[in-house]
Amino acid sequence: MNQNAIRDVVEVRNVSHFFDNPESGSIPVLSKLSLRIRQQEFVSIVGPSGAGKSTLFNIISGLLTPSEGSVLVHGQDIRQSTGHVGYMMQKDLLFPWRTVIENVGLGLEIKGAAKSKRKELGRDYLRRYGLESFADAYPSTLSGGMRQRVAFIRTLVTNPDIILLDEPFSALDYQTRLVLEEEILSVLREQGKTVVLVTHDIGEAIAMSDRVVVMSKRPGTVKQIYDVGLAALHGSALRARADHRYNDFFEAIWKDLDIQIGREA
Amino acid sequence: MDHSSGEALHVGLETAAPTVKKRTFAPRVTLAVQTYAWRLVIALAILTSWETAVRLKWVNSFLLGSPSGIWEAFLRMLLSGQLLNDIGATLTATLVGFAAGSLLGSLLGLGLWYSPLLARVIDPLVIALNGVPKIALAPMIIIWFGSGMFSKMALASIATFVVALLSAYQGATQVDRSLVNLMRSFGAKKYQVFWKVVVPSSIPWVISAFRLNIGFALVAVVGGEFISSDRGLGHMIFVAGNLFNLNTVWVGVILLMIAAMLLYTVVGYLESKLLSWSKSDAGPRTSVGA
Ligand SMILES: Nc1ncnc2c1ncn2[C@@H]1O[C@H](COP(=O)(O)OP(=O)(O)OP(=O)(O)O)[C@@H](O)[C@H]1O
Ligand SMILES: [Mg+2]
Repeated sequence: MNQNAIRDVVEVRNVSHFFDNPESGSIPVLSKLSLRIRQQEFVSIVGPSGAGKSTLFNIISGLLTPSEGSVLVHGQDIRQSTGHVGYMMQKDLLFPWRTVIENVGLGLEIKGAAKSKRKELGRDYLRRYGLESFADAYPSTLSGGMRQRVAFIRTLVTNPDIILLDEPFSALDYQTRLVLEEEILSVLREQGKTVVLVTHDIGEAIAMSDRVVVMSKRPGTVKQIYDVGLAALHGSALRARADHRYNDFFEAIWKDLDIQIGREA
Repeated sequence: MDHSSGEALHVGLETAAPTVKKRTFAPRVTLAVQTYAWRLVIALAILTSWETAVRLKWVNSFLLGSPSGIWEAFLRMLLSGQLLNDIGATLTATLVGFAAGSLLGSLLGLGLWYSPLLARVIDPLVIALNGVPKIALAPMIIIWFGSGMFSKMALASIATFVVALLSAYQGATQVDRSLVNLMRSFGAKKYQVFWKVVVPSSIPWVISAFRLNIGFALVAVVGGEFISSDRGLGHMIFVAGNLFNLNTVWVGVILLMIAAMLLYTVVGYLESKLLSWSKSDAGPRTSVGA
C-alpha cells in the first residue's frame, strides 16, 4: 500500500461526476471511475465523444471538484487546489491580446519567473518547434495547428512533472503529427515526465503509450486497459507502428469503441 | 456557431487579399479624396446659400445669424480674450470630470468582479443613478460646490462615473470562463486572474464607455454652466441666447462640436494603442452618434 502510494503519482479514486442541467436534472458524466498513473508512465485515454475525458482532466487538474470520489497526486488529496499538473486543454485558449512569446510565458509569469528568463526559455522552445519567427505575432494570425503548438509549448515551458494533454495534435496534419509524436515522446521520456494523453486517434494511442485506457460511453468509466509498451520497447513511436502487435491492439481497441458507437446510433 | 462562421469568412477574405488589394488600391485613394471633396463642397454650399439668403433678406438674420456675423463675433471675442477664457473653463471642467469619472468608474466596475456580493448589493442603486438625468443633480451640486468650475467637474464626474462603472462591470462579468480556468490550472491567484485576464479582456467595454462619456461630460458641464456660472462656453451661449445674439450662440455651438471631435480623436488614439492586437472587429463599439 505504502509502496503503491509512492509509485502512483496520480490516483483517481471512485470518481463520479454529475452536471446540473436545468431541463433534464443532473446528467451523470463519470461513474465510479478509478485509475492509477505510475511515475514516468505514458498513458493514453481513448473513448467516445462525450464520455467525460475532458471532465476527468478538469478533475485531475483541480479545476473541477468531483461530485463523488477523490484524486490523489503524489499521495495527497488535491481537493480545492490547482497548479500540480501541466494541463494542455482541448481548446488552445491563447490570449488574443498577448503575442506568441507572451502567451508561451504565461505559466512562468504566474509562477513569478523574471521577464528575461521567460523570453529566453520561450524563444528556446519556439525555435525547437519551428515557431521562432512568430514570436512577436498575435494568435489571430496563426493557423490552427500553429496555435496548438503554441499552447503545447506554453504547457511544457513551466516544466511540470505530470502533464495532461487533451487532444494536443487534433489540428495538425498527419506528417507534422507523426514528427511531433516522435519528438515529444523522446523529450518527455528523457526528462522523466509522467504523461496522460487524451486522443481520438487509436493508432496514436498505441504508438505512444505504455498503457491505453479505453473509456465507456457516458457516464464514462474505465472499460478496458491495454498494456501496450511498444514505444518503450522500440524507443520510437514510428517503429512502434511497425510492430506486428500494433494491429492486434488496434483491432481490440477498435472493437471496444465500435460497440459503443453501435449502441449509441 | 455565429462566431466560427464569421472566422471562416475572415480567413477566406484574408487569403483572397493579395489579388483584391491590387485592384482596389487606386480607387480607395480617390474614395478618400472624394469624401473630403464632397464634404467641402456641401459645407461651402450651405454657407454661401445661408449668407446669400441673409444678404438678400430672404431670411431674418436676427433669428438665424449669418456666417459672416458668426465670424465677426468669433474674432471679437477672441481678441478680447473672453473666448479663450470660456473655452479654457469648459474644456478643463470637461476633461477633468471626464477623466476622473471614467477612470474611477472603470476601476470600481472592474473591481466589482472581486465581490459579486457587493455587486448585487449596490445593483439597484447603480441602476437608479444611471436612470436619473444627471443634470437634475446640478442644483444640489452647485449649492455644495459653488458656481465655479469645481461644481462642473463634479457634475461631469458623476455623469461619466455611472456609465463607466456599468460598462466595465459588464465587461468583467463576461470574461471567458475557460481563460480563467487556464489561469487557475497554472495555479494563479485571484489577483493574477484579475490583472492578466479580467482587465485586458474588459478593455473594449471600458473604451466604449469612454466614447459615450465624451457626450455625457459635455452635457453635464454645459448644463451646469447654463444653470449657474460666471464663465464657460455654456455660460456664453446662455447669456447670448437671452440677448438674442444668435451669432455668438453659433460660435459656442461650433466650438463645442470641435471640442467633442477632439475628444473622440483622443479616445480613438487610446483605443488604437490599447487594442492594437485586435483587428477592429473585437468588442462592442459605439458610433460617434450614439
Ligand atoms: N460545464 C458543463 N456543464 C454541463 N455539462 C457539461 C459541462 N462540461 C461538459 N458537460 C457534458 O459532459 C459530457 C462530457 O463532456 P466532456 O467534455 O468531458 O467529454 P469528452 O469525453 O471530452 O468529449 P470529446 O471527446 O468530444 O472532447 C458531455 O455530455 C458534455 O455535454
Ligand atoms: Mg474532450
